[in-house]
Amino acid sequence: MRNIGLILRREYLERVRTKSFLISTILLPLFMFGMIFLPSKLAMMNSGGTKHIAVVSNDPEIANSVISQLHDGTRFGTKYNVDLVTDTSEEERAKLRDQVSSGQLDGFIWLTNDAIAARDVTYGERETSDFTENAGLQSAITDAIVKHELASRGVGSSDVDAILKEVHVNTVPIQKGKESGSVSGMEWLSSFLLAMMLYLTLIVYGMSVMRSVLEEKTSRVMEVMLACVTPKQLMAGKILGVGAAGLTQIAIWCGAAAIFGGGAAAASGAAPKLGISVMTIAALVPFFLAGFLLYSGLYAALGAMVNSEQEAQQWQFFVTMPLVVPVIMLTYVIRQPNAPVSMWMSLVPFFAPILMYVRVLVERPPVWQIALSVGLLLATMYGVLALCSRIYRVGILMYGKRPTLPEIVKWVRYS
Amino acid sequence: MPDYALELREVSKSYDEFVAVDRLSLALPTGKVYGLLGPNGAGKTSSLRMMIGITMPDSGEVRVFNQRFHRDQLKRIAYLPEERGFYKRMKLAEHLVLLAELQGVPAHEALRRTTHWCERLELADWMQKKVEELSKGMQQKAQFIGSILHDPDLLILDEPFSGLDPANAVVLKDVLLELKKAGKTILFSTHRMDTVERLCDAICLVNHGRSVLEGDLRSIKARYGKNHVQMEYEGDGEFLQKSELVQSFNNYGNYVEVKLRAGADPQELLRSAVNRVRVSKFELMEPSLEEIFIDVVGKAQTCVTSA
Repeated sequence: MRNIGLILRREYLERVRTKSFLISTILLPLFMFGMIFLPSKLAMMNSGGTKHIAVVSNDPEIANSVISQLHDGTRFGTKYNVDLVTDTSEEERAKLRDQVSSGQLDGFIWLTNDAIAARDVTYGERETSDFTENAGLQSAITDAIVKHELASRGVGSSDVDAILKEVHVNTVPIQKGKESGSVSGMEWLSSFLLAMMLYLTLIVYGMSVMRSVLEEKTSRVMEVMLACVTPKQLMAGKILGVGAAGLTQIAIWCGAAAIFGGGAAAASGAAPKLGISVMTIAALVPFFLAGFLLYSGLYAALGAMVNSEQEAQQWQFFVTMPLVVPVIMLTYVIRQPNAPVSMWMSLVPFFAPILMYVRVLVERPPVWQIALSVGLLLATMYGVLALCSRIYRVGILMYGKRPTLPEIVKWVRYS
Repeated sequence: MPDYALELREVSKSYDEFVAVDRLSLALPTGKVYGLLGPNGAGKTSSLRMMIGITMPDSGEVRVFNQRFHRDQLKRIAYLPEERGFYKRMKLAEHLVLLAELQGVPAHEALRRTTHWCERLELADWMQKKVEELSKGMQQKAQFIGSILHDPDLLILDEPFSGLDPANAVVLKDVLLELKKAGKTILFSTHRMDTVERLCDAICLVNHGRSVLEGDLRSIKARYGKNHVQMEYEGDGEFLQKSELVQSFNNYGNYVEVKLRAGADPQELLRSAVNRVRVSKFELMEPSLEEIFIDVVGKAQTCVTSA
């Protein structure tokens, strides 16, 4: 035990003392926030400006209805400067195309009676990649046509507005028979963010274990160490030391969230909206620990099997892959935490650390599911660590060629 | 019953098909300096690893301090691996203290011993430097210090002199003799015969994982008898090839070592030599260890090829 403690201390200090530890502690949360908020900020910035377009229609009434919708500032960030064209011939269309190409026009909406009847309207533009603009146009034109049709069937214009009034749906989580406040989009977003942070810390510290095993192998310090400690002590000390460094980082985030989150909440009430409380970050700890112990065993065995960083890179994919799967599943599980797929996936030990954590964040899964998932995770963890420590024990003294699968099986069987 | 610090009994180890150590037996009397010799790939390192339980023998028995080996005995054994191995970003003093602590030495005592040995081996100025800043020779010395900080009774050293310049080699040799005087038992592997001849009381020569020659250095040499002549001369040494007195000879550049045919009279060789070249040295001697080494290993190889 003393030896494990000494190795743990060495591994821990070697990591925590570095500049990169400090930098990653600060940058990782910033990066995660940036990743989530920057794109929407950028999208907002992009949508300013004025566009000069033409609406082509045989029916000026519909055309004007569309134009008034286009001028509705709540729907578009862009201002539209609209010409009305009543000529619907193919020659006119060709002319408009030329004007768009030459830059006289930014675009045109082909809104002939035929197009309306077929509910298939064309918007011609030089750049067509902005899907938010497309969605805006689609709803604007739909509204205009629906209004027009209702009016033509004798519904008064004030009635039309009343009929078309948009419905807002509030999602309210119900726990123990009570409605407990509303879930904002922000809360889902923050669950995603926290799960991604868990994923990143698992990968970063898992790989750190692998690299440090590899380094001990290549620097031959392994043999020196093995003259005083057993391979098991060495592996346990290393994994616990690296894990402690990871926990320290999470603890710092926890503390920061408590200080800044609390302060901000008092000042503006913004933090609760963000949905990151000390509790949600604290829930990271058990899931990080379980996930880290599971994956670090695999990474340690991998580090013991290979002889160089390049070789490690070729093979680490197989260890990283089961970590990537939950990230791919993440959006689905956050949106439907109780769907059978989400439930089963969160029971799989290799996915459980991230998926069960995110389920706990967005809703409260039944206790038996959490217990089962954690139980399976712990059992797998034990098995994987036992297996990997055997591979590790033999692998650390093997130099030269990479072992084949049968050889690894033989290593595991060595007594 | 004789007192052995270390004993191998019929120890074998193979890696897959490759037999690294084949029924190797050797015995190391307490308080002696013992040399493990052999060409590259003879199984020296594999044997050493089994002595300290890094690997387990497939068959046979390793006995340390007259008991079957168990891990607790590592507290009384020093092991210096052949390759220098460090956590390169650690400071030298920190590293050495860690190694001592892992061997069970309390922290303050570990630091005291580290300081003492660093001063003894001229590394005191480097204690606060990172290990990666040390030269190879310094790392070799530091590695040696790291292996003996727990004051072991048995030292197992794999090529302790490799990478040391002559001055440092002398420092290390003095330390080893000092430790021997203090009653420690020392085993080291090497293929440098001169070191062995100067330091060792007994040797074991291994080849292809097998012991081909083992025992007290003096009695081994005596067994070969004084049928060797070391000569220094000026002139054409061609006569040696033709002489019927000579079984074989080895030209080392500065001098020639001649093995006489059984029953040949060295005086006769001297007479014929004086007639042809200017002899400046003519010494009748026991064969050097190098000659024995080449003789034994060469024979073994012939055996293997003929078999």
